[in-house]
Amino acid sequence: MSNSLLIPNRYKRLGFIILVPSLILGAMYMFADFQFDFLTIPNENKKLFDLDFNFTDEIALTGAIAGLLLIAFSREKTEDEYINTLRLESLQWAVLINYVLLVIATWVVYDNPYWHVLIYNMLTIPIIFIIRFHYVLAKNKAQ
Amino acid sequence: MKNTIKVQRAIHNMTQQDLAEKIGVSRQTINAMEANKYVPSTLLSLKIARLFHVKVEELFQLEEDE
Repeated sequence: MSNSLLIPNRYKRLGFIILVPSLILGAMYMFADFQFDFLTIPNENKKLFDLDFNFTDEIALTGAIAGLLLIAFSREKTEDEYINTLRLESLQWAVLINYVLLVIATWVVYDNPYWHVLIYNMLTIPIIFIIRFHYVLAKNKAQ
Repeated sequence: MKNTIKVQRAIHNMTQQDLAEKIGVSRQTINAMEANKYVPSTLLSLKIARLFHVKVEELFQLEEDE
């Protein structure tokens, strides 16, 4: 049984290279209101909507998701049945933990800060998967 | 389920890495099997048994409550 949704191992590095700047850009956008001016498209219909469109946040989010998926879906150097099972298990784990955390956050965070919860929630499934999968692999290697 | 892979490996004087290479899996797989964290597929079990010249039932035993 081979897993054909996986991409070659070398994309893992590319994933990190895309992920880290995207996360930094996203953090700067969210916490420091930073925008790239060249990504602004002027609004032609100022009567309806008073702001210009800026695509810094779109770039940041797309980059973060792309980076995470590249890392999560890249093959290990040796792909065998155990790694396949571990991958599946880690995905299940990630989905479960993600929703438990989301429910907790839903009851603990209210009003505007909840917007932050939603933003982070878009990225936490691949993040938890990557952490869990590589943690188990590293633990196995150490033995 | 118990397995005697480690014992067989010792008898044939193989490291986990050797065994892994001979059957075409990663060392993590061998480690996980010996630590009883992973039950190998039938295909893999047969390959290991063939490599050690034993029967599959000698490698893997069901426990009382299974």
